[in-house]
Amino acid sequence: MKPPHDMGGNPAEPVIPDKPDEPKFDEAWHRRVLGITIAVGAMGGWSIDASRYARESLPRSDYKKFSYYEKWLGGLTNLLFQRGFISKNEIQSGHGESKSPLEWRERILSAKHVSASLAAGAPTRRQGAKPIFSVSQKVSVKLPSDTLCVPIGHTRLPHYISGKTGVIIKCHGVHVLPNTNAHFLGEHPENLYAVEFQARALWEQSASSLDSVVVDCWESYLEPA
Amino acid sequence: MLLCRMPHDHDENHAHHLLPAEPALRVKALETILVEKGLLDQQAVDAIIDEYEHKIGPHIGAEIVAKAWSDPVFKSSLLRDSEAVLHEAGLAGRQGEHVVVVENTTDIHNLVVCTLCSCYPWPLLGVPPAWYKSDAYRSRAVIEPRKILSEFGIDIPKSQSVRVWDSTAEIRYLVLPMQPEESIGLPVSELARWVTRNSMIGAGLPMKPADNQV
Repeated sequence: MKPPHDMGGNPAEPVIPDKPDEPKFDEAWHRRVLGITIAVGAMGGWSIDASRYARESLPRSDYKKFSYYEKWLGGLTNLLFQRGFISKNEIQSGHGESKSPLEWRERILSAKHVSASLAAGAPTRRQGAKPIFSVSQKVSVKLPSDTLCVPIGHTRLPHYISGKTGVIIKCHGVHVLPNTNAHFLGEHPENLYAVEFQARALWEQSASSLDSVVVDCWESYLEPA
Repeated sequence: MLLCRMPHDHDENHAHHLLPAEPALRVKALETILVEKGLLDQQAVDAIIDEYEHKIGPHIGAEIVAKAWSDPVFKSSLLRDSEAVLHEAGLAGRQGEHVVVVENTTDIHNLVVCTLCSCYPWPLLGVPPAWYKSDAYRSRAVIEPRKILSEFGIDIPKSQSVRVWDSTAEIRYLVLPMQPEESIGLPVSELARWVTRNSMIGAGLPMKPADNQV
């Protein structure tokens, strides 16, 4: 079954554009979740891939019901628990029972380092092998389940391109592989490609023959067509 | 310590259910725990919020677009090697470390989405708007982009292609919209005010400043 976060191609209601005066954050606590998630993330306990996996691993009913920042909050709480930073008792009582080990307390983000930390980001480009595929080459896409490194694990391969054929239009260089990195199994960097699919190859005749969708795919998601 | 090997709906992995039901209280509880454990500096949280509320926003992307409109040499290097140009400008921060700028022309209209979460070029556009994060947009942008564009008031001629970019990796896409003819020749500082946030996602067009709020 397709996981709930993999939404591409699902039937859905109209999109409601925002009004000119729409606030950046709908609720005060949304801001707080944003700030806490980024601050705690900067400690280096996990990668963006692990954060995404934590959000998409929320129970299906929560994923559907939760707003964007609620997903962040749920994912962050679960990661903190799974990685041993906070205990069930602490979550239940709403209080920290003991100080964290010094090695982590020393790594927390301080206010004076916020600008520099945001400006630096976390680049994912790495050194690595030359690309196997080249621009203009036809490739076909594996099944998402064939790209998983652990059962029911993380992949960035959406179902709607599974088994489809596309053409490489750009090689983005070598990037960290989320499929392993999300599970703390190493970065295993691979070449990453922009693959263009004709809309009609994805959605049959309903689409315009001029339209296309471009999806970034790691090398191990692809096979020569 | 658990590794993330549990099936999705296994209770052990869903410690978030132990927090209060009300989201605002849930955040407060988690923040208190983290502060008491020495894992969070609340002033850093305030500083992050301040950055995204007051400093980082679509005006940054708009300046890049305006410069590209008025400087053909800058435009061609931006399109050829967006990542290096933005890095040089100090704009390759969190969630925009690797940016590719794609150009709208009379032949092609580009639209950006992230169907798997809501990836977005934060250093250039700030926090993503609600519609961009909505299930409806994430679901439909790849299958019926023309219909979505019409919901945003844009009718794409049948002769123009629509190319949708699904941001599945750490590459972030920024649309370089077509410059409105009536803005040609204006100074860069004024041009930037024509560039709407939505036009840099592909879900809008640049507009004369008075009509242009998003």
